[in-house]
Amino acid sequence: MQLMNYKTCVCNLCGTGCGQFLKTDGRQVFGVAPLIAHPVSKGKLCIRGWHANELLNTNERITQPMIRENGQLRPASYEEAIALVASRMQQFDGAKGEIGILASARSSNEDGYTLGRLAHEVFGTRLQGIGAEAGHRKSMASLEHAFGYPGAHGSLTSIDHADYILVVGTDITRQNPIIGGNIHAAQRRGARVVTLSSSRTQIAKLSTKHFQQKPGTKGLLVNALAKALLGIRTANRERKANIDQMPGYSDYVASLRSISSVALERASGIRYEEIEEEAKYLEQAKSIVILFSSGISGLDRPTIDAITNLALLTDRMDHEHSAVIPVAGISNLQGSFDMGVSGEPGNSVFKALASPDSAIRALFVIDHDDGIIRDRERIASLDFVVYSCAYKSAFMDLAHVVFPLPAFNETDGTYTASDRRVQITRKNVDNPHKVLPGWALFQKIAAAAGHQWGYANAADVFIELANNTPGYAGLSHQQLSQGFGQHWNPQAFPNSRRRKFNAINIEYWESPTTPEFPFALMIGKAQHYWHQNNLMRKTIVPRREYDQTLWLYPHGYIEISPDDATRLKVKDKWLVNVRSSIGTHMKIAVKISPDVQSGTAYIPYFIKNMISDFLLPYENAYAAGEESVIPIQIQE
Amino acid sequence: MSMYILSSDEISQLVTELQASYAVYGPQVEPQTRQVFFDLINDATALDLEAPIPSMPVKEILFPQMERILKYKYDAETQSVEMARQYFEQPKVLFGLRPCDLAGIQALDRFFLGQEFVDDVYLTHRRQCLLISNTCLHPFPQCFCVCTHSGPDADEGFDLDLTKLADGYLVKVGSEKGRALADAHNWTPAKPQQLSEQKAVVDKCIDLFPDMATDNKAWVSRVMNRITTGFIKSETWEYIGDQCLECGACSFVCPTCSCFNIEDAQTECGECERLRTRDSCSFEGYARMAGDHNPRQPVEDRRNKRFFCKLSYSQSKKYLRPGCVGCGRCQWVCPGDIGLPNVVQYIRREITGGEA
Repeated sequence: MQLMNYKTCVCNLCGTGCGQFLKTDGRQVFGVAPLIAHPVSKGKLCIRGWHANELLNTNERITQPMIRENGQLRPASYEEAIALVASRMQQFDGAKGEIGILASARSSNEDGYTLGRLAHEVFGTRLQGIGAEAGHRKSMASLEHAFGYPGAHGSLTSIDHADYILVVGTDITRQNPIIGGNIHAAQRRGARVVTLSSSRTQIAKLSTKHFQQKPGTKGLLVNALAKALLGIRTANRERKANIDQMPGYSDYVASLRSISSVALERASGIRYEEIEEEAKYLEQAKSIVILFSSGISGLDRPTIDAITNLALLTDRMDHEHSAVIPVAGISNLQGSFDMGVSGEPGNSVFKALASPDSAIRALFVIDHDDGIIRDRERIASLDFVVYSCAYKSAFMDLAHVVFPLPAFNETDGTYTASDRRVQITRKNVDNPHKVLPGWALFQKIAAAAGHQWGYANAADVFIELANNTPGYAGLSHQQLSQGFGQHWNPQAFPNSRRRKFNAINIEYWESPTTPEFPFALMIGKAQHYWHQNNLMRKTIVPRREYDQTLWLYPHGYIEISPDDATRLKVKDKWLVNVRSSIGTHMKIAVKISPDVQSGTAYIPYFIKNMISDFLLPYENAYAAGEESVIPIQIQE
Repeated sequence: MSMYILSSDEISQLVTELQASYAVYGPQVEPQTRQVFFDLINDATALDLEAPIPSMPVKEILFPQMERILKYKYDAETQSVEMARQYFEQPKVLFGLRPCDLAGIQALDRFFLGQEFVDDVYLTHRRQCLLISNTCLHPFPQCFCVCTHSGPDADEGFDLDLTKLADGYLVKVGSEKGRALADAHNWTPAKPQQLSEQKAVVDKCIDLFPDMATDNKAWVSRVMNRITTGFIKSETWEYIGDQCLECGACSFVCPTCSCFNIEDAQTECGECERLRTRDSCSFEGYARMAGDHNPRQPVEDRRNKRFFCKLSYSQSKKYLRPGCVGCGRCQWVCPGDIGLPNVVQYIRREITGGEA
């Protein structure tokens, strides 16, 4: 017998995929309860999950279709808005790159799949992209080369059993707190937890061992660990496995051998002897889990390649509790990739928007409600922009037609977490404004353009997408409703048993800092900022927590070490002038943090002015995510 | 004290009968996840008095996570305000309360009703509320009510109290309201040996508590002494604070945590609604004051505040009992490892210098 007021749900606020109950009478959501039997979250939720009810109660919802007329958005019927979109879109040539698609990493698989059909079959365009995709594509490319399929190797539940857990970068107790909590629990039960991070993050404090390397040298350090492991292997012939048969092995080993301990120490600040000690633990571990962040603040390709290569070199990847997981900050980043709406090189909508001479004239956008809209001016000058989202956002100002979407608990949909676990969220509250789910909206637009799809519900869409998406065969809504979802099957990929080493180059990162610009500035995260800032702004308590930071540092802050603060003769909250080596400048408050290394500085990337005025000229640095470093000077 | 013995059928009949004039809430097992909730009962057969401790405290009903308490609209022309409260009284029965949750309600009563200020929202939910407690026959994982004087059986605060014995449920009457209910029925009076049987059931339950819980009993009071006097090293609080992921879960599942936040939000039609949501002292913004002063900015200071609230003498004076009722839920939901029993362990380790 179903309970009156508690309905199961999958949290939609990051890529962990925690189980939760919503307390609801079927009309409104009053609260949240953790779901104890969930294999990953096990009855735990973070501040976001605990406050999902606040987001789901916001009054800032889009409730009906709207059409811009004389500069103003006015309410419209679905029929009118859909007919307008279908006829306007026919005036653009998708094949010539005139139509762009901005897909959402938060959409369900059903919505992502049908959006792909709408783009490819109806609009005839391949110019597309998902927010935060750049970082994730690197993860996917590296993993596909190494393991034969684009997705995580192993399961997040492996954290609960593994002997050895390596966390590369990522402030995981902030970005994916429940994964962070599971790692902490693993450390308490005796697993060896090792963190590589240039700042002393919370997970670094909770680790068995923290390597606080200099910025830009995570990949080098991972390679050095591989070299040390190889050294043990050579000495201990019995453990020399068949990995030397894998393609790429000899080049990889040759590169590793070229690592000089002197250069390593100079670049990273870590002594090779310390890494050799660590390799002994790695060698003894029977099951190994490696986690790194993927998406907007992900790692660069050489670092991910270093990680996947190290994983293969351990020869423990066939253990049931070994895993290599690109941890996503957004709920369905992996699923959106699987659904084929990412912008492949040569077809990136982001690139089209950023290039002044591209052919793009129309844009079809889902969500994209981050605080910052990149290429805003270009989008404003397009001929036609369609925007769909559950919540109001600044993107509405740029749209000619706006469609509402249901919130994640107002419709059936599946979401694929960071470790490929596909889970279903059932509709558990009414949809008071009769808002069409994404797939149904796209189906109607397709029908208005003469394409009949024939889906009766989301389960129908899933049947078709499962037939057309590698790894999803055999999954269905009915089956996913039993238990807590299922990982998609890597064996659907023909190369899934053929592992290969990625080619690596050993580079000793030279800090771009100079005597004139002595600080290495990195883009850090703030406690209560999460990717879709627009969502957290619509809650009550998490928003207050985010504002707490802004109130203390209304113009943003730059984090520096106590020693550097003494040297600069500044105190907490004092304003300083920050000048970058290419001449951008900002005035910003100092935040003194003992967790930051001397000579490094962090700014959070959530404050608009900082991004647009200071960081954006550094296109490349920004794209490099967690590894980007900008040389600056700080003056009182 | 009058006592009766009721069969399972009579209990079930009582539930159905009460449903005619009350909203009846009780423990039920969610079929897919096997998770227990203290939820509104639709069908009397769904009530499961042997289900483990509910995953969320019963304060869900009296002090919801979020509720609309007021709607108002300002008319600029007439300069008048229309206001309407959004909480309403509803007679209800909380059927089969675990003794820890009953103790939690008593602590909430003293906070919301027992001091100079009486909270009208809580009072409205709490009025016309029949409390029927249910003795625990065995402890559930993480339980430690033996350390906090709140179980495994209830000794005060109930209208009726149930204990499952071999021949049915022993029903104790604990109040005038309970008395009236008993008088209206022709229940079989209990025999004296059934009271001794009840004592034996409770003793057996106490024996079943894991060593860590019984062993901690004396330590909880020693820790209370340390927390009250402030003789706990800052390193211990830092060790605890380092493990806090600032999710607020401990407060949300605690039967006695009563902090809340008020937020006014504008609705579509120009009206405003006032929301009351639960809050937690683990959040940085919770203690922020005007002028940006925050007496509890570092996380360890905020953690220390929570355990002071749960385990200090000055707080216990307000609740007339420790602020912790030993339900162990905070231990379940904490993504760090700082549920209250563990904090007692950490402080104990500090006192003994790492031994035991």
